[in-house]
Amino acid sequence: MPSADPGAPRLSLAADHPPLLEVGGRHMSYGLRTSLSWLQANQEVVNDLNVFPVPDGDTGSNMYLTLRSAVEDAQKEADSHSAAAVMQAAAHGSLMGARGNSGVILSQILRGFAQGLAGSPRVDAAGVAAALQEAQSVAYKAVMKPTEGTILTVVREAAAAARVASDGGGDIRAVLDAAVREAHAAVERTPDMLAVLRDAGVVDAGGFGFAIILEGFARALAEAGGDVPDDSTPLRAPRRVGEPAVRPPGHAEVSGAPAEGRRGAAAVEAREEGWGYCTEFLVEGPGLDYERLRDELGALGESSLVVGDADLVRVHIHTHDPAALIAAAARRGKLAKLKVEDMSAQHHDVLERASATEASTGVAAGAGLAEPRKAVAARKPLGVVSVAPGAGFRQILEGLGVDRVVEGGQTMNPSIEDLLNAARAINADAVILLPNNKNVILTAQQVDQLAEGIAVHVVPTKNLPQGISALLSLDPTADAESNCERMEEAMQAVHSLEVTRAVRDSTANGKEIKTGDVIAVLDGKITAVGAEELAVIDEVLASLDFSPELVTVYRGDAVSAADGDAMVGALREKHGGIEFELHDGGQEHYPYILSLE
Amino acid sequence: MLHLVTDSTSDLLAEGARRRNLTVVPLTVRFGDEQLRDGVDIDSATFYRRLVGSPALPTTSQPSPEQFAEVYRALLQAPGDEVVSVHLPAHLSGTVQSATLAAREVDPERVHVVDSWTISGGLQLLLDLAVRERDQGLDAATVVKNLEGRRDRVTCYVLLDTITYLQKGGRIGRAQAFIGGVLNVKPIVSVERGEVGPAARVRSKQQGVAKMVELVRGNGPLEAISMMHGDAAAAAGEVRDRLTQLLPELEIPLGQLGPVVGTYAGPGSVGVAVLRPG
Repeated sequence: MPSADPGAPRLSLAADHPPLLEVGGRHMSYGLRTSLSWLQANQEVVNDLNVFPVPDGDTGSNMYLTLRSAVEDAQKEADSHSAAAVMQAAAHGSLMGARGNSGVILSQILRGFAQGLAGSPRVDAAGVAAALQEAQSVAYKAVMKPTEGTILTVVREAAAAARVASDGGGDIRAVLDAAVREAHAAVERTPDMLAVLRDAGVVDAGGFGFAIILEGFARALAEAGGDVPDDSTPLRAPRRVGEPAVRPPGHAEVSGAPAEGRRGAAAVEAREEGWGYCTEFLVEGPGLDYERLRDELGALGESSLVVGDADLVRVHIHTHDPAALIAAAARRGKLAKLKVEDMSAQHHDVLERASATEASTGVAAGAGLAEPRKAVAARKPLGVVSVAPGAGFRQILEGLGVDRVVEGGQTMNPSIEDLLNAARAINADAVILLPNNKNVILTAQQVDQLAEGIAVHVVPTKNLPQGISALLSLDPTADAESNCERMEEAMQAVHSLEVTRAVRDSTANGKEIKTGDVIAVLDGKITAVGAEELAVIDEVLASLDFSPELVTVYRGDAVSAADGDAMVGALREKHGGIEFELHDGGQEHYPYILSLE
Repeated sequence: MLHLVTDSTSDLLAEGARRRNLTVVPLTVRFGDEQLRDGVDIDSATFYRRLVGSPALPTTSQPSPEQFAEVYRALLQAPGDEVVSVHLPAHLSGTVQSATLAAREVDPERVHVVDSWTISGGLQLLLDLAVRERDQGLDAATVVKNLEGRRDRVTCYVLLDTITYLQKGGRIGRAQAFIGGVLNVKPIVSVERGEVGPAARVRSKQQGVAKMVELVRGNGPLEAISMMHGDAAAAAGEVRDRLTQLLPELEIPLGQLGPVVGTYAGPGSVGVAVLRPG
């Protein structure tokens, strides 16, 4: 079984060091930065631990982006000596930046840990163990149907080990050492608890990601003395866990590259108003079609500067929609040195100060102030935010009454902040959120608690056909509650068939799957595997236990209109009783998404 | 004696009008330069055939005040004669306007014009009750009061094959929320309180049939119901069968959406009109 960690215990953090009895905010901050560096180095390993052979392996990236957001806020915390204050800031940051299920659960772990510190500026071994205990408790509560063999199991086992270790003495290193060992051991046990992991021959990605985070944290504290400076660089992790298995404490190389302090690319996508974003990045080749790239990207913004050659292109563009720009570029090559700056930020600050002054001095609107915020759209009772990949789906959803479409989906889960910004931008009393992806639902459900003044309702659509079906039953004149009820009912009436290519060998539902095979996922289950798309779709349609009347085919960005026509033409011939419709979805990775009604 | 007048958007065929002893004033439907009196010069079957084949959409126009005045004068023979003239909503047509002008011209004391707030099968439901009251000998003032008292209890649902005709014909009202989609969506619009509004959207005829039944069911117990279709007999038959199961105690007449109404509904439309109990 290929697993993330073939090695035996790699840590011995407590050896040869005087006991670490108490830590404060700087230790926490240093620990988190090292966790981030550890996770960054192992991001791809985590991504590759994909349960499904479909290309949705973004657990590592999601956890990384979530933790990065935590670290950013932790570093900005003014009370940098207080453990509780730093962790509180980290928890807030992680919630704002949380992406994907694993990211949301990670944010809950951090929230629980911060709660567990109960405001203490300094914490001892028992305190760390108690905080881990609270972390697992909060994480379990956040998930409606907790599943064993996941990150939840790992955090729980780690917390239990920490508690036992904290009984044995006052060394924080020993407590964390025990927690990390147990976390990795629990990761190894996840396939025994979850059949889907066992079948796929992997350990749980989220659990493994958490173990790495904990390991980074533990290593940082093992290295640290009684105090650490604010700006100490985090320890650099081995490029791959298990490769240069253990760097004995005291011999670890210190990386010159600190954890990145930049905003995630997609994290800024939803704020569309204002003056746009200065977006810069490199596209790495080889084999870049530089002129095509220049034309494609240049069309997406202003002040465009796209220079380079087949191996490396530098891009600088002012755009209102950096996510679209980044997504377009990412299709052509590997991105690096991504930087997105909000050119409206300064303007916003000015406005906020103005309205704060206005509020505190009781100046009525219009009395002297020339209604500076008049540009905001009129407030409406109900708005809709929908997540979707691809320009085609964006257009379709907007045509059905969606106010804001947040770019994202299978391989790029939007953050809580992305969704929150979109919900706020509508200026509505209530907002209905359509995640349209099972990995976005949990993220979407966190938005309400942050959206002051907006009642955010989530209709838990697992895929785009469900989202579209739900939208069709939207009545903009009715209230949010009755709409949600109708939409949840409507989304059940549609079946979704997603067609993609396997990204690695696997078995699923008793089917052997080889890398590159076409696989058809019907309502979340792999139903057919084959060499080409038509045969696979045909096989599924022929073996349904219901008879669809209408099949809507959404072609992906890699499928030309002519190929789509040919596919639908062939399907019409074979399935005379079914009406077929073809639309441009524009989604990545999935050549076809079919909606069966 | 009380005489009832309506217009051709009630979609009563000549036979139906005769049986109820109603006078029907036709609107006009125009294909290019050709003017055809609704239901007189052109019937539904011919209309839908021409609609599908016509390069430009037909247009419609209300009856002139003079047309109404002639009808009213003809009916007001004896001193005791009165007219109640019941029409499609003022939001959708100038017919009520023409009728009101004619009434003022002829005899405002004896000709009473009522905006029914509804159309086609819905208008028929209201007319049937007025006919019964007329036959029971009620006077014009009472019949008018009763019509105005029950017109808010009528709703029409129309399943459209496409919203194009409603949109191009400029009668879309609040159903404009349904415009602009890339997907082929079949809208169900409602007509109530004299306005067109959005009721539901579906992706297929089959879903439309189910949704129509569900919308009717949402009204609770009904006093009366009627159905119409515009060149969609099969789908209308399916809706009717399901409604018959749902409402075994009610008779469900099925008529045709005439040329003027069909100009806005388009071919392939199915309508259900319900009257809720007071």
